[in-house]
Amino acid sequence: MAARTYRLRVEGELSDIAAQAFEGMTLTRGAGTTLLVGRVRDQAELHGVLQRVSDLGLTLLNATVVDDGDEAPRR
Amino acid sequence: MTTYETRSAAALAAAAGLTLAAAKLAPPRPRTGMVERPRIARALDAGSETALTLVAAPPGYGKTTAVRAWTADRDATLAWVTLDADDNDPVRLWTYVATAIDRIRPDLGRRALQRLAAATGPMEAAIDALMDGIAAAAGEVDLVLDDLQTVTEPDCLATLAYALRRLPPNLRLVALTRADPALGLPRLRAIGDLAELRADELAFTPAEARELLVERHGIALDADDVEVLHDRTEGWPAAVFLAAVWLRRLEDPHPAVREFGAGHRFLADYLSAEAIGALDAEARAFLLRAAVLRRFTVELADHALGRSDSADVLAELERTNLFVARLEHGGWYRVHSLFAEFAGLQLAATEPDEVAVIHRRAAGWLSARGLLAEAVEHAAAGGDHAFVAGLLVDAHLALVRTGRTRTLLRWVQALPDDAVIAHPELAVGAATAATMIGNAVERRRLLHLADRARDEQPGRVGPYVEAVASMVRASAVDRDVAEAVTHGRRAVAIAGTDPAADPVLVAALAGHARALYLAGDLDASWAAALRAVEHPDAGRRVPGHAFARSTLALVAAERGRPAVARRHADKAKALVSGVGSSRTWLGANASAAHAVVLAAEGRLPEAERELAGAERFFRDEVATVHHAWLLVVLADVRCRRGRLDDAADAARSAREVMDDLGDCGRVPTLAAAVDAKLAEAVSRAASGEMLDPPSAAELAVLRLLATDLSTREIGGELFLSPNTVRTHTRALYRKLAVNSRADAVARADLLGFLARTEIT
Repeated sequence: MAARTYRLRVEGELSDIAAQAFEGMTLTRGAGTTLLVGRVRDQAELHGVLQRVSDLGLTLLNATVVDDGDEAPRR
Repeated sequence: MTTYETRSAAALAAAAGLTLAAAKLAPPRPRTGMVERPRIARALDAGSETALTLVAAPPGYGKTTAVRAWTADRDATLAWVTLDADDNDPVRLWTYVATAIDRIRPDLGRRALQRLAAATGPMEAAIDALMDGIAAAAGEVDLVLDDLQTVTEPDCLATLAYALRRLPPNLRLVALTRADPALGLPRLRAIGDLAELRADELAFTPAEARELLVERHGIALDADDVEVLHDRTEGWPAAVFLAAVWLRRLEDPHPAVREFGAGHRFLADYLSAEAIGALDAEARAFLLRAAVLRRFTVELADHALGRSDSADVLAELERTNLFVARLEHGGWYRVHSLFAEFAGLQLAATEPDEVAVIHRRAAGWLSARGLLAEAVEHAAAGGDHAFVAGLLVDAHLALVRTGRTRTLLRWVQALPDDAVIAHPELAVGAATAATMIGNAVERRRLLHLADRARDEQPGRVGPYVEAVASMVRASAVDRDVAEAVTHGRRAVAIAGTDPAADPVLVAALAGHARALYLAGDLDASWAAALRAVEHPDAGRRVPGHAFARSTLALVAAERGRPAVARRHADKAKALVSGVGSSRTWLGANASAAHAVVLAAEGRLPEAERELAGAERFFRDEVATVHHAWLLVVLADVRCRRGRLDDAADAARSAREVMDDLGDCGRVPTLAAAVDAKLAEAVSRAASGEMLDPPSAAELAVLRLLATDLSTREIGGELFLSPNTVRTHTRALYRKLAVNSRADAVARADLLGFLARTEIT
């Protein structure tokens, strides 16, 4: 299971304090949403991130994988 | 001697190695001064005819408050369990549920608790006993499972799904969750057995928002302000409440509302910060820290927060309904979970060291009171891995003995390697646990850590650890049979001479015996297994004893002594008593040995069914010799039944498994013998032409000959007398040119008379 970079968009602009819940991810805020971008090792780690989204009561708008070149091509 | 009948529920729970945190079984007190929401109560009432009422919504939608208020007005007796991640362990989960039921009337959950304390029986029996207990209750019972989203293990959810099918008519099951559980909801919905209350219904209406803000909190808002707040929060109750705490401190709330309405910040985040800012300094300091604890008593708060006035602060917070709820009994309080998230983040931002300090102090306090699970969770959250490891060193044997292996493994997996290496006895104990639940990957990792402990700190690894490590390697036969035999001999030698390792002796002999069996040395295998079962401690060492009995059964069956084999196989099954359940390693091994005995007795369909169940347990990411051996036995039984294609499948799988392994002992020889038998059966089935095609009636009989039905049962299926069935069978044998049922099935299969979707 290879590491992958994920982009998650949630509703609302997160404060710096709430951003601590997503340590290791890059946050970009704008137009009433926050974009979280970060590399996760495996599905378990991704589910941990999604769990924090849920714990904070955030609304997930979308989630995608980013093709970031430094990953070996997959079949 | 104390009998079960005279022991209290608490003592039984203690026998199961659990210390029941009162906090998990106490519902919150119904709150006063809340917004009345009769429409919610009506929606919950509407579910009275369904098996399950699901209250599903994100945090902060007032699920707990709504259900608590509803139960308070009902005549039914309330049993409440607040679940957490540690309940991903069927024994723990059902012990809590049974204890909650037992509190209604002491005896309703008693039989279920006895079964759970025995720990080896199938969960279904305990659940049945519990449902019978509830059915015997005088009136209606409401069972509320709060925070069901924390239960995610398929095994655990399967026990809940089983319970859903067995609910007595006087029980209402209400589950509160943030995420829909995998309980077959679409099916329940389709048959009208599911009532749901979801975020849309739980959200405040504009009228309810107005009541909270204006009536209850006396905030001077006009209709437009309320509309702005309702629109912006979409009626999310937690957000509306946070807004109330914030706005009630302001002289003129209008500008704040307008700014809030036009803003884009995340609601809960923004409002929590504002609400925390609006608290007085005393309440703020307390709440930010108490939020780290989530659940606490006055004493725990005093200890972990380093203060002595928690009782006064809490009384005031409870009176003003501020973020803490008091539970009905046991003196526990709970911080509202959504608020706790943001409060915790705020504290981490302002006083980063404080969070870990609070966790660690809480862990110390909880462990001193025997609240192991809570202590472990806090110590882990506080990053005190050494403390967690220390707790587990003391508790791991009890956890394994009481069937809570999954919990132990979850905790051990969360430890960094160094913490495990520092406690090699924990590494090998957890490796035993991993073997029991069939997790070969984790077993290898833990044994590897035990090896590293020996290399890095030779003095720390004593004879006990050495004996257990070798016992596990001999029993599991991961890669290499010769290696397993050596480990078995070594485990027996250490355990037989060193008093510190003496408790391992029965299991060591059993492991050695099985390794010798797979090596093909039946005499030595028999002798070692016999020594295990005749050991004076065998009665107390159930796993080793059961494993040795299984091996005795295998050896006896192979030597043509089916009666002796049957006796040992039955004893092995009785010892693991999870009869037919292939859920544990011991259960799967006992099943496999029993199947071999069945095959020796000629009861092939039963043998195949049992083998197939056991085989599923040994499928894993990594290959083991046990798995290869089982597949070969399965191929042999299928071949003897005439199920040649499926036999070839199993034989092929066995070879694939062996490709990944080293020395597989006698398994390749056994596999070659099965291959030869299979080839012969195929050629026999293929020889000769079909002179005379079977009639329609004969074909119907033929299809049932491929099942494990008896002649009488086949007659029953087809409305024929047994004699007629026998006549058709004779005709079929003649037409197919065979002499046995197995050959008839094999040949019919080859000639295409049987569908591939055969019942087994």
